Amino acid sequence: MLKRLFSERPLRLPHIRPYVPRPSDPSIFWFNSERGDVVSDVVNRICTAHETDRTQLEMALNDAAFHEIRRLERQRDNEARDRLGYWRSMIRRIGKMDDTEQRRVLHTIVSNMGHDVAGNFDPRVYRFARQAIPRLVAGVMEPRRLARSFSTPQFEVLGRVLKVQGDIEHLQYLQSEGSLVFVPTHSSNLDSMVLAQALEVSGLPPVVYGAGKNLFTNPIISFFMHNLGAYRVDRRIRVQLYKEVLKLYSQVMIERGYHSLFFPGGTRSRSGMIERHLKLGLLGSAVEAFTTNRVRRVDRPVWFVPTTINYALVLEAETLIRDWLTEEGKARYIIEDDEFSRIDRWFAFFRKVVGMRGACIVRFGKPIDPFGNLIDDKGASLSPAGHTIDPGGYVERRGTPVVDAARDAAYTRELGTVLAERYERDTVLMSTHVVGHVLFRHLVQATPGMDLFARLRLRGEISIDREVVRKDLGDARDRLVALESKGEVLISDVVREDTPDHLLERSLKFWNGYHDSTAASLEDDRVVLHDPSLLLYYQNRLVSFAERIADAEQMPAACEIEALGVHR
Amino acid sequence: MSLRVGVVGAGGFGQAIARASARHGHDVVLWSRQERSSPESIRASTAIADMKDRDLIFLAAPARHAASLADLLGEVVDGRHLIVHISRGLIGAELKTITTVLRERTAVRRLGALAGPLVADALAEGRPGGAILGTRFPEVTEMVREALGGSELRVYDTKDVIGVQLASATVGFLTVVLAYAQAAGAEPSTLAVLATRGMVEVSRIGQALGASKETFMGLAGLGDLIAAVAGDERVESRLGRAMAQGTDLVKAIAEGGEYVEGVEVAQHLLEYANRLGLETPISSVFVEVSNGRMTPDQAIRALMERRAHQE
Repeated sequence: MLKRLFSERPLRLPHIRPYVPRPSDPSIFWFNSERGDVVSDVVNRICTAHETDRTQLEMALNDAAFHEIRRLERQRDNEARDRLGYWRSMIRRIGKMDDTEQRRVLHTIVSNMGHDVAGNFDPRVYRFARQAIPRLVAGVMEPRRLARSFSTPQFEVLGRVLKVQGDIEHLQYLQSEGSLVFVPTHSSNLDSMVLAQALEVSGLPPVVYGAGKNLFTNPIISFFMHNLGAYRVDRRIRVQLYKEVLKLYSQVMIERGYHSLFFPGGTRSRSGMIERHLKLGLLGSAVEAFTTNRVRRVDRPVWFVPTTINYALVLEAETLIRDWLTEEGKARYIIEDDEFSRIDRWFAFFRKVVGMRGACIVRFGKPIDPFGNLIDDKGASLSPAGHTIDPGGYVERRGTPVVDAARDAAYTRELGTVLAERYERDTVLMSTHVVGHVLFRHLVQATPGMDLFARLRLRGEISIDREVVRKDLGDARDRLVALESKGEVLISDVVREDTPDHLLERSLKFWNGYHDSTAASLEDDRVVLHDPSLLLYYQNRLVSFAERIADAEQMPAACEIEALGVHR
Repeated sequence: MSLRVGVVGAGGFGQAIARASARHGHDVVLWSRQERSSPESIRASTAIADMKDRDLIFLAAPARHAASLADLLGEVVDGRHLIVHISRGLIGAELKTITTVLRERTAVRRLGALAGPLVADALAEGRPGGAILGTRFPEVTEMVREALGGSELRVYDTKDVIGVQLASATVGFLTVVLAYAQAAGAEPSTLAVLATRGMVEVSRIGQALGASKETFMGLAGLGDLIAAVAGDERVESRLGRAMAQGTDLVKAIAEGGEYVEGVEVAQHLLEYANRLGLETPISSVFVEVSNGRMTPDQAIRALMERRAHQE
């Protein structure tokens, strides 16, 4: 009973003395007083859009009933027991209902969805979380220091592991002037937590974001997520109306000035490559938020912050690459049994990264307006020629701002392209990416004409003279440094400054002992390749730079590697 | 409601578009670098700032001028503007499209590419014809139809912006090949094989670059090629014929008297296809012939000796 209460309805703290937000508080502190209003705004807009046309309305109701019945029949759980009857009886009656009844049913359905999605923000939980969680994490990482980490406000452990880059002051200024939409790359389920921490240490406000309902099944995570403004996204629901609710919820929040976060990649990058094809749904909600405000003559800018989250060690690397290599895995959103759900893996992961400086780099890129233009210090949009332009012009038709869904969809697509380019330029290449690449390239060179899967089966059969690896690593690094000076790539300080020997040792230390299989090892003066798929995963991050960092002899292998990324 | 139309470039197509828009009753400004006279209904200008108050701007210039004109326009246009270009070229070894160049160098996002069997004279004089517009923005289609459409010109549209531009550029190159073969005495059936397999070949490369196959089979590709073969006397046909008569490429271009975008495209296309390991027999042979490394006889033999496979 208690478990059901936790998992299906997130717990909130009782309101004995409601917190009254101060003017200096971030916008999200006002959320609870606006929550009902937000939900009813979403519900009303959807109902109005569907009510005018009976055929369309009937179609929407049928679609909802059909997909829900299918889902619940598969689920066979408590929810199915409670709700299946409702949908079955509804689908039989839709055709017989008069207009008023159809509208009433639509309102009920959409309203239920709206309330299920909407999050909560409790300043008390926020205060607790921002103080306790870094200490807990620090404690998990270094148990010896657990006591000390609770007694001092210094989060030196986290600071050592997590580096934040970017123009923080600019973002701090912008957050009070408009809505910020953080759009990071997505490699791990840790991303949202890492990003929350990066915002926290940078003095940036908390953000609203959609979290998969599967993350809410753990009562503790659910409690924090729910009370820190996250809204729930149930990926099992295929109903069109539900998708509209999610999109509009995000849109209304941005329209009202709440800062948001979403991962345009949609799902964690399975291959480890930098995302190129982005999901446009939620991006579109932010573009439409800007348009709607302009049409209503509300001058509240929306800025996107392309962000890259770069890990030298990825918690779920093994499951992700396995999933990429199995064809059917590509479409799966949720892997129920990956490392994220195993607490021992978390423990091992944190223990591993704590000893390594700069294991994770969060880089906030230069913010852009919804049309992909860079902005100046004060947030004004800039044309490529460097002139200040009014972003409102993009939504005007012969001088008047208008809502046009087809046009905004086209803008969103453009924005997706810009973000993909920015990800490539703003990704920070880490030691494991470079070492993974050099070793994998050797594997390709040593096995000409062999296909990818045959190569991945070569476990422990290929070894390379350490001296050769040392030289190749040095060369690759030098070429990356040269590319960096041309603004084509970014590399971590470790890659830039450490000796090739250290880079190799550091990568082996990261991989071995954390991942279940050994990626590569040093045996006498040779580097033996044990698990090519792990090497592939890490090297995939720099797949689009392969040709630019190869010499003539390495070029055929580099071309083959780069071709891996062409049709991703 | 009359539109404010701007046309950048006063070559054949620029003037034709200006005249067609003016005929539809729109307020037209025709920009060119040098001063030139124009009919009363068209305002001629050499000041790019005159494009600032235009609703719709046509860029009608060869691809090699696209970047510098985009920079010039970039000084005066912003998010309110719509730009449609009409050019058969692609830029550089990476086969960059003109819309990409406009996207990179101006703040304009509502862009389009006009292509298909358009002939400048017919457009100017209002003889019936058709065109294809590649754009993702419905407003661009609406406005181009308003500016040029009507009973004389049927403007179809597609979202495959890159496909329209690639098809249009590669038709330029195929036109040279076909005119060459025709002048060298190829039979209709040989021409048909060359045209069809040539189209398959370029659409294969187009697809690798993100275009859709259907676009190559539509007005931008096959439609345009039929117009070229039917004899709409374009510069590419003249070049092909000149080459068949044994003049080398440089001389042939000079003889054509105009800049031919198709030849440069063929070279770049081939390099790109080779990088991806795509099969490109016709382009490869054409580049060999145009560089004087192969005679027409050898070229035909090289193509005919290949093993035929399932279509």
